[in-house]
Order: sequence, then structure tokens, then C-alpha cells
Amino acid sequence: MQCAEHYRVQAYFDGEVDAVSAVDIERHAERCAECRALLEHLASTRERIRRDLEFGAAPPQLRARIARMLDQEAGVGAPRGAARRPTLWRNRPFWLGAGGGVGAALAASLLFSLLSPSLSFPGPLLDEVVAAHVRSLMPEHLTDVVSTDRHTVKPWFAGHADVSPVVADFAGQGYRLVGGRADYFDHQRAAVVVYEHGPHFINVFTWVASERTFPDLTTRSGYHVAFWRVGNLQYCAVSDAGWDEVLALVRLLRDAGERDQR
Amino acid sequence: MPHLDAAHRFARWLSRSGSDADDVVQEAFLRAFRGFDGLRGSDVKGWLLTIVRNCHATALKQQQRRAAVPLPQEDDEQFSSAPTASTPDPESASTADDDKRTLDRLIAALPQEHREVLLLRELEDMSYREIAAVTRVPIGTVMSRLARARAALRVKWLQETPGEPRAVR
Repeated sequence: MQCAEHYRVQAYFDGEVDAVSAVDIERHAERCAECRALLEHLASTRERIRRDLEFGAAPPQLRARIARMLDQEAGVGAPRGAARRPTLWRNRPFWLGAGGGVGAALAASLLFSLLSPSLSFPGPLLDEVVAAHVRSLMPEHLTDVVSTDRHTVKPWFAGHADVSPVVADFAGQGYRLVGGRADYFDHQRAAVVVYEHGPHFINVFTWVASERTFPDLTTRSGYHVAFWRVGNLQYCAVSDAGWDEVLALVRLLRDAGERDQR
Repeated sequence: MPHLDAAHRFARWLSRSGSDADDVVQEAFLRAFRGFDGLRGSDVKGWLLTIVRNCHATALKQQQRRAAVPLPQEDDEQFSSAPTASTPDPESASTADDDKRTLDRLIAALPQEHREVLLLRELEDMSYREIAAVTRVPIGTVMSRLARARAALRVKWLQETPGEPRAVR
């Protein structure tokens, strides 16, 4: 007969419970020998699996085979230059890249960005941020960490995103901090901070800036999108709120970001 | 190619044979590439592993259809010897290798739905939610499968290695 708490103990071990439940479960395990044994077993199994079962890297032949296949798929017999970030055609319309080196760069970039939906021209990235904003408005998609406390949201990003963005609560100015989320952009796990302003949500994306440039302000599918940079971080705010309301938050964040930099 | 290693690991444990795994991974990358727009979430790794899993299921069905010819049984030999590294002094190496082989075999013997949640959790360090997305089952099912996989492994491990002192009952 197993202790009724064993699922909760397992969830605790797997890091799936919040801090309050964790304390609760730790207290329980102090009293329950069975759950203590379970925790020991979980730890030793994990250790053994991670030590003995790791297969390491995929075979190089397989890597080469897939690279060749994707080259063919991209319709270019060009050698793979995917490791190099293509900057060549950054500032040109991509349809100029019909021939020669630019075509190869395009293929290379397709490979490079194959699994990170970010893409090297601003159009798709713009679509991505807007799509992410829309998706976030669906139930249970808004935030992964729900908190109005920036001291909770900011550290959460340390384990979930590649950047540490400005997180502040501007409730006094009408922009309430709702929480945070991680999303994939520009080959990185971007941090997303969500603010509520009246009936509107504003998603603020942050990732490490590349040489790529964005329009400061633009509208896509009816949503207002503002880009700005602070230091090496690229910020982007998306919302259906009016321009004035979006820009007021942008100003607050930009000031806070610049204070952070100093 | 991000996540190729993870895709390969996962395919290998699903198919339990190196060459099948390679084919599955290649097919998965092709589908990922062609269906690039199919990615709707932010979890690229989970998305790719889902495709790997689908490709494996398809390959398995094809194999079963061709099963009039008896399939070569999973070659334990090649499977368990491949990942072992250099062989240091024979004494200690053999016990360690025995343990590794036992673990390989026990995990390979788990039913697939248990094996996959266990490996996604322990090797890929994925959250319940991410595992649920890849295996297309509710989070509660992920939890119960994980618990059952771990318990089965514990029981079998104790049966296989009776000599070893264990803190557990």
C-alpha cells in the first residue's frame, strides 16, 4: 500500500510544485518513512539514468546525412555554411537573392534557423511577435509565472529565458504587472513580461539584439508594435491598446532599463 | 542543427535500434523542415520530439505490415555496447558495465508509454506539461505513467541486483 501523498512527493521531486506546497511536502516526508524512501529512490534512479544512459551526441554521419538532405530540400546544392550567421542580405529584400552567394546564404539561413522560428527578415519576426501576442490571450497561455511581484517574475526568467529583462510594476501609472513567460524568437528563448492596462494586455518581449534593425513603430494585423533597444537588449511591445497607451509604457520601461544599465 | 542529439536519443530509445533510429530522425527533420509553419508554440524541442515520435509510430506500422518476414529481433548486443566508452581496468569496469547493461535492458523492457515519459523527464529534463504535449496525454496521465515506470524499474532493479546493498525496502 502506497502513501496517498506519493504523487505529490514525485511532483515535488520533479520541481512541479510551488514553494508553499514544497514546504508542505517536505514536512510530510519528515514524518513519513515511506515517502522518504521514495525520494531516495527517485534521486538514485535519476542519478543512475543520467550517468549511465546518456548517449551523447548523434553520430556525425547522421548529422551529415541530414544536412545533405536539407540542402537538397532547400533546392540549393551549395555547401553548408549554416554555422555562419548570414548578414550579407540583411538589408536587401530577400527576393534579390535569386542567384549566387545570396541564394546560398538564404539556404544557409534556412538551415540555421530551421528550428527556431525567428527568421532573418523583420516581416516574419513581426508576424511571430504578433502571433505570440494573440496566442497569449487564449486561456492559460498568458503567463507561465503569474505574479504581480517583480521579485518573483525576474528570477523566474533566469531558468527559462536567455535574457534578464527589465521587470517592474507600474500599477501606479496604470500598468499592472501580470506575470512572465518564455517564447522562442531570433534563435533564443525570449523573455516576455505581461502588463495589464484597463481592458488591454501588453506583451513586452525581450531578446539579445542582433544587427538586425526594426521599425520603431509599426502596425500589424491591427496590433501596435513598438521596438526599442537598451544596451544589448532588444525590446518589443505588442498590444491592441492605443498608441498613446503603448508608448507611455514604452517610455516607462525605457527609463527603467536605462537606470538598470547604469 | 539544434536538438539533433535529443531527437536521436529519443528515437533510439523508442526504436531500440541504432539504424532504425537514424532513419526515424532523418524523416523527422525532413517533416520538420517541410512543415516548418506547423510550429505554433514556443517549445521547439518538444515540437521536434513530437515529430520524432510520430515518425517512429509510422515506421513501426510499416514494419508490422511487412512482418510476414520475421524481423531481426532488437540486437541487444549492438544496442547496449555502443554507448560505452573506453574500457579502463577490467575489474571495476565490468561491474560498472554490468550495471549499465542491466539498466539498459530494464528500461528497454518497459512498455513504450512508460519508457518515453521516464526518458523525457530524466534525460531531456522536460516538464510534465512539455511531456504531456509530446505524448499527447493529460498531465495526470504523465504523472501516473511516470510513477509506474519508476516503480517498475525499482522492483526489477532490486530483483536483478540482489547482492547490492539498498537503502530501500
